[in-house]
Amino acid sequence: MLRRVLALPSARIAVAVLAVIALLAALGPLLAPHDPLATGDHPLGAASGTHWLGTDYLGRDMLSRLLDGSRVSVLGSLEVALTALAVGVVPGILSVYLGRAFEWITLRLADTLVALPFLLFAVAVVALLGNGITQAMLVTGVLVSPLFYRVSRAATLAVARSPYVEAAVIGGASIGWVVRRHVWAKVLPPVAVALAQTVGVGFVIVSSLTFLGIGVQPPAPTWGGLLASDLGYLSQRPWAPVTPALLIMVTVWACNVLADALRDVSGEAGRALVLARRARDRRPAAAGPAPAGGAR
Amino acid sequence: MSGRLTPRRPVPAPHRTPRGRLRAAALGTVLVAVLSPALSACAGDGTAAGGSAAALKWASSYFPTHWDPVVGGSGAQFRELALVYASLTRTDAKGNAVPDLAESWKYNSAGDQITFHLRPGLKFSDGEPVDATAVKAAIERAKTQKDSALFGDLTSITKVDAEGLDAVVHLNQVDYQIPQLLGERVLQIASPKAARSPAALDQHPVGAGPFIVTQIVPGTKAVLKKNPDYWDAKDIHIDTVELTSAPDASTVVSGLQTGVYNFADIEPSQAEAAKKAGLDVFVQPGFNASNISLNVNKAPFDDDRVVDAVRYAVDRQEFVDKLTFGYGEVTDQPFPKGYVAYDPASADAYPYDPAKAKELLAQAGHKPGDITLDLVIPTDDPQAEIVQSQLAKVGIKVTIKIEKNWATPFFAKDLTFSLYSTTGRDSAVQTLTAHFGPHGPLNLSSPYEPAGFEAAVAKVRRTPLDAPDYAQVLQAATRAGLRSKALVFTFSQPNLFAKSRSVSGLPKNPAHIDWTGVTIGGH
Repeated sequence: MLRRVLALPSARIAVAVLAVIALLAALGPLLAPHDPLATGDHPLGAASGTHWLGTDYLGRDMLSRLLDGSRVSVLGSLEVALTALAVGVVPGILSVYLGRAFEWITLRLADTLVALPFLLFAVAVVALLGNGITQAMLVTGVLVSPLFYRVSRAATLAVARSPYVEAAVIGGASIGWVVRRHVWAKVLPPVAVALAQTVGVGFVIVSSLTFLGIGVQPPAPTWGGLLASDLGYLSQRPWAPVTPALLIMVTVWACNVLADALRDVSGEAGRALVLARRARDRRPAAAGPAPAGGAR
Repeated sequence: MSGRLTPRRPVPAPHRTPRGRLRAAALGTVLVAVLSPALSACAGDGTAAGGSAAALKWASSYFPTHWDPVVGGSGAQFRELALVYASLTRTDAKGNAVPDLAESWKYNSAGDQITFHLRPGLKFSDGEPVDATAVKAAIERAKTQKDSALFGDLTSITKVDAEGLDAVVHLNQVDYQIPQLLGERVLQIASPKAARSPAALDQHPVGAGPFIVTQIVPGTKAVLKKNPDYWDAKDIHIDTVELTSAPDASTVVSGLQTGVYNFADIEPSQAEAAKKAGLDVFVQPGFNASNISLNVNKAPFDDDRVVDAVRYAVDRQEFVDKLTFGYGEVTDQPFPKGYVAYDPASADAYPYDPAKAKELLAQAGHKPGDITLDLVIPTDDPQAEIVQSQLAKVGIKVTIKIEKNWATPFFAKDLTFSLYSTTGRDSAVQTLTAHFGPHGPLNLSSPYEPAGFEAAVAKVRRTPLDAPDYAQVLQAATRAGLRSKALVFTFSQPNLFAKSRSVSGLPKNPAHIDWTGVTIGGH
């Protein structure tokens, strides 16, 4: 599947962007040219050779703060996505097999979670449990989990009613064997699409919460927090919010493009698409040189 | 090349099908719906739809959370509440008490009783008379109401006798500060009838001030109209007020430019943008001062050497340079320099000296990194980041904690380390006792009081405000208060407002906004 995804140019770009972002998250603090928390004597300074992106209201190096803040944003969004995955997928698959009571309860629970606005809920949780990104993201992950529940349930329902699975069940196969042998392979592609989407959603949520000053204590930098603080000094540095905003936008865009690519190449339709592309790629070689005077 | 114009065929009137007409009508309706509010806002500049009313549209950073002045206290929101409520006295451009509801006052010869004589024929907006009974009720309510934020300011008052228009205030000590004290900050007088239900008053304020509230959307917006029965109504030229809770600081100037507001509190960082946008920036003198509050009843501040280390570690100039955009100045006292209570003899007692701070910490047995402190604040505040950075340089590790419910532990004196910015008080003694008194709300170390402070304050109270040695006695009390180890003052900045040019100049009344004589759009 990975090979098929990387066959798409848009997916290659998205993966490259996400790889750079992941690299920033892993090595950002080491790459930072200055201490991201050290205040300086030149607040709201313009971009210069020493400070490539200028300085903030306390004279701190903006590039260093952006690099240092990338880890919180990436880890936060991954936390949302992985929590949602862990909470949503297993009940989604089991809801097809564990009887009506389990199905009814999980469906109602999923409906309830969908009805809760996750940003407000995260704010409420932070107010109750203290200001921390981990708890805010965990809760958000649980609230996003109905997406995984529904995707995995729909995929499982489709495969559970197929003749070969029914034959396996009649033949005495256990639920565990059926899930491992037949269901999992069918559930994985749509879950991968949902995962890529949710990482993007996670970025938006982390950025929104930190923009509002929730989840991270100052002076810890985050992309959302930097965007918020820059907005207060627009008249002094009108260009300053551009970089954190661009980083957020590009990352979310890359996640969405990757999700689209995963959707395009997954399942029978995806296989057909790739085969068609390969056939198209082969065609010019078989056609031979074009006649003089151009094609007719 | 011919200069003759190519004859044009007459353009036929567009033929509109019923569907086209429907679309045009729908488009027109949408445009009208979308553009009408925008156009009416732009047309504004304070003139109401009729074109004759002068409307003040004020975006306030201190939109009242409580409309009962007893609960609201004497903090920054008093300016907004003063739209509705009048008080016995007010302050003039020099900060002196001048008549408001009381047209005169007189101390007895001993100085422990003062009689306020009220203006005749005044009434509250609910029709109740403004008399001594209302004054007595207001003072007693401020002293006894369970959620009063003012009882600590009225400890000198033992009782009030109401005799028609004369309110006789009995004191437990000689105190010549009372006319200063019973101004807009501490005694905004509500209708006694409305105040019988403080909860209702908190939602529907009833006063005898220049305006009457007609609508309140809690926390968001209040609409007021001119009070024709206000004692100085002839000098109030504003017909309506729309008080709005200010949006994000970065959008206020845009709001002023587009006419959504014509008057707004602004941050120093927005002043330049306001000027560039052609707005007036009104720099209002005040008594603002910011401090770092320490609790000397708790470790590590129970060791004087640690307190002194913090004092030497603070570089006040950095606060001014990074936060005030040229509008502030350093101060090591609870007042700005130049104020009558500012004591020049105490200036710069603890200059910035990080080496000495480290030495003191070493003497106290603390290695760098030994001391870790939680700096608890109510909202994100760059001051906290500066404190954190400066203390880190001397080896004290500070973690900033934003606590939305900060006020409860702060005023209960449960915190060890915090920040506070005061807007000051009209009575310098009130400012001093609030910070240094054993039960002062801003003294995080209650009941700690610096030695000699009580006696020094009592001497100020005994000194008439027009006595030749008043300033000297007052500054001695400041000096005594500054022996307190509970507070490290950092900087002071004036209040800044941006206004549309259609709003005329405001009196430079320190810390107060005086709407007397102010016109909008020439009305």
